[in-house]
Amino acid sequence: MSLIDNKRNKPEMNHVIKNQRNAHNSSSPTTMAERQRQRFVDKATKVSAKYLRRLAELPGAPDAMEPFFKVLQDIYVDLKNVEKSADTKIVGTYCVMVPDELIYAVGAQPVKLCSGSYTAFAIGDDLVPRDACPLIKAVMGFQAMEVMPIYDDCALMVVPITCDCKKKMAGMLKQRVPTYALHVPTAKSEDRDMEQYVQELYQLIPELEAVTGQTISYQSLAESIDAMGFAQYQMSKFNEFKKHVPALIKGTHAMALMNAFSYLPVEQWSQQLHRLNQELARRKKDKHYVSKDKQPRIMITGSPVIFPNIKIPLLIEETGGILVGDETCMGERSLYDPTVVVDQSFDGLMRSLANRYTRPCTCPTFVDNSQRIYRIKQMIADHQVQGVVYHVLRGCLVYDFEYQTLEDELGKLGVPVIRVESDYNEEDIEQLRIRIEAFIELIKLKDLETRISKLKKSEIAG
Amino acid sequence: MKKTDLKLRKIFTPTVIVICGVLMLLSLFAGNLVFYAFGSDDSGYAITPVLIILLLAIIGIVLCLWLRRRIVRNDPVMGRFAAERISLKPGGTVKGQRKFGFMTMRWLIMILSFFALIYGVKWLGQGFGNIELPIFACPINQDQLIDSSCYTLAHLNSLVGMSWSEVGIFLGSLLLSIVVLGRFICGFLCPMGLIQDLTHETRQGLKIEGLSFNEKLYSRLKPIKWTLLLLFLGLSFVGGNFCNICPAITVSPALAGFKVSLFLSGFAMIVVIIGSFFKRRFFCNICPLGYLIGLGHRISLFRIKKDCQACTECGACYEACPMGIKTIYTEREKRDVTTADCIMCGECIDKCPENKALAMSFGGLRFYKASRKTFMSGHKKNEKRLKRLIRKREKNESN
Repeated sequence: MSLIDNKRNKPEMNHVIKNQRNAHNSSSPTTMAERQRQRFVDKATKVSAKYLRRLAELPGAPDAMEPFFKVLQDIYVDLKNVEKSADTKIVGTYCVMVPDELIYAVGAQPVKLCSGSYTAFAIGDDLVPRDACPLIKAVMGFQAMEVMPIYDDCALMVVPITCDCKKKMAGMLKQRVPTYALHVPTAKSEDRDMEQYVQELYQLIPELEAVTGQTISYQSLAESIDAMGFAQYQMSKFNEFKKHVPALIKGTHAMALMNAFSYLPVEQWSQQLHRLNQELARRKKDKHYVSKDKQPRIMITGSPVIFPNIKIPLLIEETGGILVGDETCMGERSLYDPTVVVDQSFDGLMRSLANRYTRPCTCPTFVDNSQRIYRIKQMIADHQVQGVVYHVLRGCLVYDFEYQTLEDELGKLGVPVIRVESDYNEEDIEQLRIRIEAFIELIKLKDLETRISKLKKSEIAG
Repeated sequence: MKKTDLKLRKIFTPTVIVICGVLMLLSLFAGNLVFYAFGSDDSGYAITPVLIILLLAIIGIVLCLWLRRRIVRNDPVMGRFAAERISLKPGGTVKGQRKFGFMTMRWLIMILSFFALIYGVKWLGQGFGNIELPIFACPINQDQLIDSSCYTLAHLNSLVGMSWSEVGIFLGSLLLSIVVLGRFICGFLCPMGLIQDLTHETRQGLKIEGLSFNEKLYSRLKPIKWTLLLLFLGLSFVGGNFCNICPAITVSPALAGFKVSLFLSGFAMIVVIIGSFFKRRFFCNICPLGYLIGLGHRISLFRIKKDCQACTECGACYEACPMGIKTIYTEREKRDVTTADCIMCGECIDKCPENKALAMSFGGLRFYKASRKTFMSGHKKNEKRLKRLIRKREKNESN
């Protein structure tokens, strides 16, 4: 803790070091804390740059992916702030339950702060209990080091109280930055659960308005719902392309694109996605595929996969699989369900928002979450998935709880599942590689068997 | 939560019982409660009572709004939004959702049927009196294109005096309508439905907040519905007349130029208009005739089908449903989600963003399916604008 206190007393230091770093000034920092910071920055940017390189080197990246890579580069390697006008305030959000629409409606810019940094994780390891999930550790690590502008410039952080870790994280963040704890209902089967969330959102509005000084109006809310709706419209088109067999785009790239959504204004993001969609349409026409016919089609689900912790999707695609779908909260889920406005009044808009962020949400933090199984089954059917990788971050209990039911259900379908537990470090990478490789070989073998048996059947019939 | 539930039960259950009791009492003496009486000398305009009802309904709505504003203003959370929630300010609406499609068809059919059931004979010169639809299009209006069997249903004791052929026509057409149309009548043909949808659309246009019902409130409506059904079928046997409390009598004959004195029905119509302004299809939720048709939903040909795997339980259909049918989104096993309450309005399918998750079928043929593409089709305009913008920018760059 001494490290953080030290830093908090010297906010100007932050600036100095950044300037030094940017100017490639080699004059060595003096105090131990500064040296530690410098080391931290070097390491964090190096790791991010490495994964970004691997991402870009993964064959088959469309040209239109470039802006998304650039955003990740800006945020994680160059440690820049999000692209915005000078007086736009940033509101940090976590999870998928904070309505971005409300933040845009008051004129602020939402930034999703869930983190996947290995280096920050190592710092955070000392700040939170050992069994806490690595996501929290990484967030607290960045918070403590004060090197990421997106964390430091936040005018307000909105933390939905989803799992236990997020709850305690909200408390810890509150001691450092203005934080608002957004209560999410624990269940969603009864009407009052959703209605409770409407109330919560109404309570969130004054907090957001205090950040920018702008009041929310019907007009601004309707506009922001439309802006998000347009992003979701582009997303739905993108999803159609993802369903194509053979694949038109690698799943790792699709996940990077969804990660970039966290740091881009929604209009810009949907514009870029529109370009990507156009390119994919061209690819479809030219029959320019990124996968071969018999490549195993894998889907990833479970704990969030956040840049730079994209080792598992990378491993899947580097060992011969093709990632066709993801059911994770940093992936497709955050933009999949549209806001369905059924009542044109202000309250109607608020209700539709509350509805969209609770009822269809497949986050396992809800008491009853059987719909996630159905969603995964539907995705398996839509994307013709042959195997499911169930990603569990160490300490992410809620996802681990749901593994058993999923395994049983998919067992009935005959779709193999592998549970992959990992942490925010690179120590387990070889072990993961072996397991995933074996899994993919298994699918290939299974595929071959079915092909042979089919062939035999047709021969017998013939 | 449990405490508040108990409290609510303490308030709601007696209220519902009182409403049912008052309804029964009032209906017995409905003939004595005069709303507007035409003299025997045939003076006055037929439309006058309708205008009075409209005026009183508007006054009632304004009063309700004023009252709610007063209540909301003192609320610690909601007080801040009192103005925004009852806003009459012009402003953009959410444009991303589909504007035309199945719902346009429904509106056209509803308007067509509204006029056919009021002026049909005048236009075509001839009606089809032999067919009797179970519908609240008042049969006192003789200009209807198709007769309504609601009068016979409300006066079942008169069946005794009828000839066999008349009874046959009545029962036959009733059964036929239940099988072929079912509550499709409610969603597409009923003039009362159109009036309620119009008041609802007025509210949407003014962007005034409505009343959002939840499952608890819907369940409280059930006793009222049953009471009304009992009154509808049984009042004639105890010497009453359901027409005296039926709100449908106020519209159809008056518009066609028939002078009908109104009793309790005039007040009922005011309640229906105010109710449907704040709660979509308020009367349909307690309509005895519709429920009677709905009871035969198992043999009806119009059905709502669901693909339980494709459903994400987003609840959009439930939010959109004017009848508050929750099973439509919680159902995970049956492929058929038609219930007695469903009025086949198609709102759930219109608002469903999942491909083929919901569909309406007629005799097994799915003629209207949910689709994400059409659901989001409102965004196509935006996309075109974006394309133009990009092209312009590229041109500028190349120059």
